[in-house]
Amino acid sequence: MAHATEDRTAPNGAGPDGAAARPASAEGPAKRPLRGRTLPELGALLLMLAALVLFFSLKTPQFMTQGNLLNLLTAVAVTGIIAIPGTMLLIAGQVDLSVGSGAAFCGVMMASIAQEQIILVGVLAAVGIGIAIGVVNGVLVTVFKVNALIATLGMMAVLRGLTHVNADGGTIALANFAGLGTARPFLDIPLPVIILVLVAAIAVVLMRYTVFGRSLYASGSNPVAARLVGVRGNKMLVLAFVASGLSVALSGLVLTSQLSAASPNSATGLELTVVTAIVLGGASLSGGRGTIQGTLVGLLIIGVVNNGLTLMNVNSFYQQVASGTLLILAVAFDQLRLRLAKT
Amino acid sequence: MSSDRPQDPAPSAFSLRARNIRKSFGGTEVLHGVDVDVLGGRVLALLGENGAGKSTLVRVIAGAHQPDAGTLEFGSPDGAAETATGLDPPAARRRGIRMIFQELSDAPDLTVAENISLGNWPRRRGLVDWRAVRQRARQVLDSMGVTLDLDAKVATLRVGERQIVEIARALSDDAGCLVLDEPTAALSAEECRRLFGFVRRLREQGVALVHITHRLDEVAELADDVVVLRDGAVSAAGPADRFDRTELVTAMVGRDIGAVTRPEPSTSVTGTPLLVFDKATAPPAFEELDLVVHAGEIVCLYGKVGSGTADVADAVFGRRRPTAGTVRVLDRPPADGPRQAIARGIGYLAADRQREGALLTRSVGENLAAPSWPRLSRFGLVDAARERRAFTRWSEQLGIRAPDGAGQSLAGLSGGNQQKVLLARWLERGSSLLALVEPTRGVDVGARSDIYAALRGMAADGAGILVATSDYEEVVQLADRALVMVRGRVTRELAGDLVTTEALTDAAGG
Repeated sequence: MAHATEDRTAPNGAGPDGAAARPASAEGPAKRPLRGRTLPELGALLLMLAALVLFFSLKTPQFMTQGNLLNLLTAVAVTGIIAIPGTMLLIAGQVDLSVGSGAAFCGVMMASIAQEQIILVGVLAAVGIGIAIGVVNGVLVTVFKVNALIATLGMMAVLRGLTHVNADGGTIALANFAGLGTARPFLDIPLPVIILVLVAAIAVVLMRYTVFGRSLYASGSNPVAARLVGVRGNKMLVLAFVASGLSVALSGLVLTSQLSAASPNSATGLELTVVTAIVLGGASLSGGRGTIQGTLVGLLIIGVVNNGLTLMNVNSFYQQVASGTLLILAVAFDQLRLRLAKT
Repeated sequence: MSSDRPQDPAPSAFSLRARNIRKSFGGTEVLHGVDVDVLGGRVLALLGENGAGKSTLVRVIAGAHQPDAGTLEFGSPDGAAETATGLDPPAARRRGIRMIFQELSDAPDLTVAENISLGNWPRRRGLVDWRAVRQRARQVLDSMGVTLDLDAKVATLRVGERQIVEIARALSDDAGCLVLDEPTAALSAEECRRLFGFVRRLREQGVALVHITHRLDEVAELADDVVVLRDGAVSAAGPADRFDRTELVTAMVGRDIGAVTRPEPSTSVTGTPLLVFDKATAPPAFEELDLVVHAGEIVCLYGKVGSGTADVADAVFGRRRPTAGTVRVLDRPPADGPRQAIARGIGYLAADRQREGALLTRSVGENLAAPSWPRLSRFGLVDAARERRAFTRWSEQLGIRAPDGAGQSLAGLSGGNQQKVLLARWLERGSSLLALVEPTRGVDVGARSDIYAALRGMAADGAGILVATSDYEEVVQLADRALVMVRGRVTRELAGDLVTTEALTDAAGG
């Protein structure tokens, strides 16, 4: 797996033709050019995914069954719905670590309200809370200039605490809300997967074709330069944090629906998986680089690894070791890629 | 180890004769066989334009670069010579060669005494001997005739004082040769005088000094010998008093002097003032500044780095706010930040292209179109085809070499081509007033003339252009009018045939 990741870094650093064409400045060596080729990179990721799928389908006969694959995709969907706006944030050079506890908080709030009101009120409350979380995160980062890592880390603790307070320590059971998480309205595909595909499609359009998306790329690439060409970086960042908050609410609702209950401990460590998928998908921690498509493949890779290891009866503690290792490797390769691009 | 050596009383002990030094970077040779003698007790002025190879040459001498060919011949006091084909940094250090770089390389949060022993701590039983640190600092500062608070953090000192600390560090362990890379660029006149005092004192102590500069007045004031580099070769060398100013300029600029010609008198200048500064003050950058840029006119603000020229351009673009006087930009008070400035038709290039201009990870097409996105989009959707067409149009007009077209990432372009893309932003935006800081810094000669032609074209179409630059050749080639700034004030205004390199350097040197 490590080998395939190494491959995807290769096309980026290489570009001898460009180096030769550039007249070296008289006072120093010429910089090697960086080519923005995302396609071969995505290709290498897909290759890695295919290798993993092949490996697990040979190891366990249950892997390649329709039921298992749909399970896999459903598991991916909860993470994925959050990872899509997460990618937009990381492209802009920011990160949201409050997503896991945010999802739990939205779920618990929705369930506790829905116990006394109709379900719709609970759903609307969850959406409102998600937006509010996004606004607070965004304002902390853009107005108060709190480092996003710290601001959302603090928010993560705050929300987890509030979740426990509101759940009063226990799990809130909720009947009549299974539809969102378990319905299969179309071609037997689970609704959460359809939601993920829709969210991703919207994000692809936003990032590729709109001023909003381009502004996020520009701000992540060089915030000072972006401001000097008239990009409204702060406004766009707040919007991206709000998108993240919305996706957190959506994901929290899906989770609650799947479990028919809201647990204050749900989605613990979700931020780890989300960041792993994004970085694995080629978005750079230093901003300005990355694609939604890449994140989708990153999500699938993580999903296949988790699912495959479970089928092979690997101890779930080792699965934690695996996902931590995957995150560190992904970041290490991101750094390697940046160095290759620079020298 | 060298500090254990007894103090060598012999003056003029240091002698380095570099012969036929060649050095290439990425297939381009930047030094074509250079000879240079560096001798103890003498000040060698190393002159040359930007990109002539001065820095590369001294980096070879200081061991930071290995020459591809040539020899370094070191004389020793007993007359025997020793030849090396190149040095690494420790070897250069052992030979007593010290270099003071253009940028400060001190540790701002450490004290003066600590900085002087930085990287060469006196030790006692494996621990730093703090008494020796202070003693060494006092000794070397005394020998330089300077009083500085040994316990002051370097960050609290002025630039000139910090430079003194760096020189003190270089001298603290028996320097035989001290290379100063454009040391006066950021200094006030008084700090310059003080620095020159040290240089003379060191010369008397027998230290060999290499003084890199492109300021001719410093040569007359300080140098015993002079070496002029042009395009990587020596174009003049000998005792400093054998050359007068004109000869040195000719040697620096050379045959290319034909290229440094005044433009045709502009016919596009109209009476419409686009930019007016009236006694505008923004301390400490500039004071009581009067300036007018008319439609169709290119006005150059010439001054050394730190003279305030860039701050004036910043004020035009709404990055800096004057505290007194009035500024009218396109008949309005200055914009409230870049976004508003752009909307009003003002374009801007920052001095530091990588840090403040380039979106390196993005495509050239996006880089070019970014300020025009509001116009190129409908309901927030950018028209990608129009964006590509915009790139094609301006890349043809400016001769931008982007091998993969509009989708090429900006980082894959040479410095000159990157700068063309950033300039084309404002052509596409249709800006009527440009404020450009060092628009051709780090740009190769060919791209430079393309950029000048583009600016001329914009002025001919009625744009007003303000260029803040420290490159006097640029002023000569570009300016309809030129203002010379020294320490935040305009000291001279030149127009027409009076815009010459001599007049400019003369006015800026005062």
